[in-house]
Amino acid sequence: MIKINKLSHHFELGKKGQKTIVPVLKDISMQVNKGEIVSVVGKSGSGKSTLLNLISGFIRPIEGEIWIDSVRVTELSEARFADFRLHHIGFIFQSFQLIPSMTAYQNIELPLILKGESETKRKQQVERLLEKVGLVDFKDHYPSELSGGQQQRVSIARALVLEPALILADEPTGSLDSETEAEILDIIRGLNQELGITFLIITHDEEVARIGDRTITIKDGSLVEGGIVV
Amino acid sequence: MRLTDKFRFIRQNIKKNRVRTFMTILATAMGCAFLIVLASIGYGLQQSIVQETLEDQVVTKIDVYAKEVDGNYNSLNIDDVLVLEKVEHVKAVTRKIQLRQLPTYFLEGYKAETTAVSTHFPSEIASGLKISEGRLPEKANEVVVGYHFTNYLHTETEENVYDEDTGEIKDEFRYSDNIIGETITMTVAKNQEGDIFEEIPLTVVGILEEPTREWLINTDVYISQEVFEQVEAFTGTPGGEIGLDPEVIDTVHLESYDSVHVYADNLEAVQGIVDYLEAENYATYSIVSEMEQVNMLFTIAKAGLILVGTIALIIASIGIYNTMTMAVTERAPDIGIMKAIGASPKTIKQIFLLESSYIGIIGALIGTIVAYATSVVVNFGLPLILESVFQEEMPEGLQFSAIPWSLVLIAVAICLVVTIISGMRPARRATQIDVLKAMRREI
Repeated sequence: MIKINKLSHHFELGKKGQKTIVPVLKDISMQVNKGEIVSVVGKSGSGKSTLLNLISGFIRPIEGEIWIDSVRVTELSEARFADFRLHHIGFIFQSFQLIPSMTAYQNIELPLILKGESETKRKQQVERLLEKVGLVDFKDHYPSELSGGQQQRVSIARALVLEPALILADEPTGSLDSETEAEILDIIRGLNQELGITFLIITHDEEVARIGDRTITIKDGSLVEGGIVV
Repeated sequence: MRLTDKFRFIRQNIKKNRVRTFMTILATAMGCAFLIVLASIGYGLQQSIVQETLEDQVVTKIDVYAKEVDGNYNSLNIDDVLVLEKVEHVKAVTRKIQLRQLPTYFLEGYKAETTAVSTHFPSEIASGLKISEGRLPEKANEVVVGYHFTNYLHTETEENVYDEDTGEIKDEFRYSDNIIGETITMTVAKNQEGDIFEEIPLTVVGILEEPTREWLINTDVYISQEVFEQVEAFTGTPGGEIGLDPEVIDTVHLESYDSVHVYADNLEAVQGIVDYLEAENYATYSIVSEMEQVNMLFTIAKAGLILVGTIALIIASIGIYNTMTMAVTERAPDIGIMKAIGASPKTIKQIFLLESSYIGIIGALIGTIVAYATSVVVNFGLPLILESVFQEEMPEGLQFSAIPWSLVLIAVAICLVVTIISGMRPARRATQIDVLKAMRREI
């Protein structure tokens, strides 16, 4: 599903002429198979979020290549990558990233709108997912009127609405209490088993990492454990 | 993303900032209204002047004065008329010769001194000559008279028949009966003393229509060519002129016309005929040609006024730019989320461009309505104000402001272009928003 080959990245800090190069990822090669849940763990600043951002196309790598579903995404233009994300990848973020002026229903509907689906199909899909994540009664609530767990469930429903084969989750339970965390992890596990969706979960929490079929550990920008070398 | 969904997004966004959007729309509307009202003055005055000029004239008429031969302008004669009649799209060629002396007309104790004109009635009929009463002449001794002829027909008396204030003939001396069917006696002199004269009886069969301009007076008597030639034969001079030195008379018959008018069969053909006649060295005048020049001047003036009006719109566009820039900044986190889940830069750009266009269109619509209202007020109020300030009556039908559809379309198009341009930079900025920074609320 995901193939990463000799991926390196660094950030440039400071003003022009006095820039300092800070290496973030060094020569990472790994693979995530279809239907797997893979957890990426590492300390804060280890480079795990950067890895996710590179796979997502939010930032471009300095070196190396990333393949998703046999597409070399590192070669895609910004517009093509956006389209690829829309059709192939779902996202779950630590801070949910819901649009505050939209209701739960509208937030879930957003990817369908971007895809240009008809209103009938949108309604059908959104209501099915609201039921799946148990938020039918909260569909007209704005994010500010929902609890953290409910917001994350909206976020999961939004990630699932276009039925992607891959979901990238960045600290999906990072803002939740332990009880809600367990609920969200149950949902993720259920989706993986029921729909065969591949999950790449970035976490610093070993409890969360245990949900994965495999754990990849990153330390100081280097992959130290769990990556299947391509 | 569907267009309807884009509009739904725009409506939601506008709702969030109602006051700011309203103020921006207001500025755009004012700019648009200013542009339309300013240009409408050019349109209004042009319309008034053109209408005033065309109102009382036959627009298919071309005056042909002379023909240039070797640098000299020669009067037109029958040969020229025959040439003119053969030109394509020429409906009629009318020609008139004025008698070269002022005959006196008598009718049962009344008399009048006025011009006699010989005209070719078949061509006059073909050109559309109309009479207000009676009919056109059919016989040589039948005549039609100008609309005001009877006003000049007064009692034969030694008293002063003229009103000292108006200069017109006093009512009590004026002929007041119907003249149709009456026989008037035209008296022409052979010498300056007037002691050798001839009386020619003529029957009035018709009265011409009133001249279209109120200040025009037509007292002429329209005689036949036969009567004209009869006068020439009596005086022995061309056109019946008296006091000519017999040695300089080389012909008895006056062959050149005083006025020749060519009538086109339709308005579109006028310019073509004028061009053809000018190429054939004829000196011409046509109201259509004159109007083309007037229209050209007004087109330049209107373009200038539209340009000045556009400046107001450009000023309004600064407001749109500001509104859109603030909207992009405020919505940066939302844009980041949308981009993260797969919104293409093109979609983001389109949403913001549509939003600025939406403001432009609503502004243009309101501006157009305001401009129409202003135009009505100006046309009604300004003449009253000017009349009271300058104590002068404004010409009837003078229109200060006119808003044709073309002006509305021009204004809306300019408004739309200006608003799209002012929304382009903020829209481009929206596409360049960094997803990670936006999601971290760092923008």
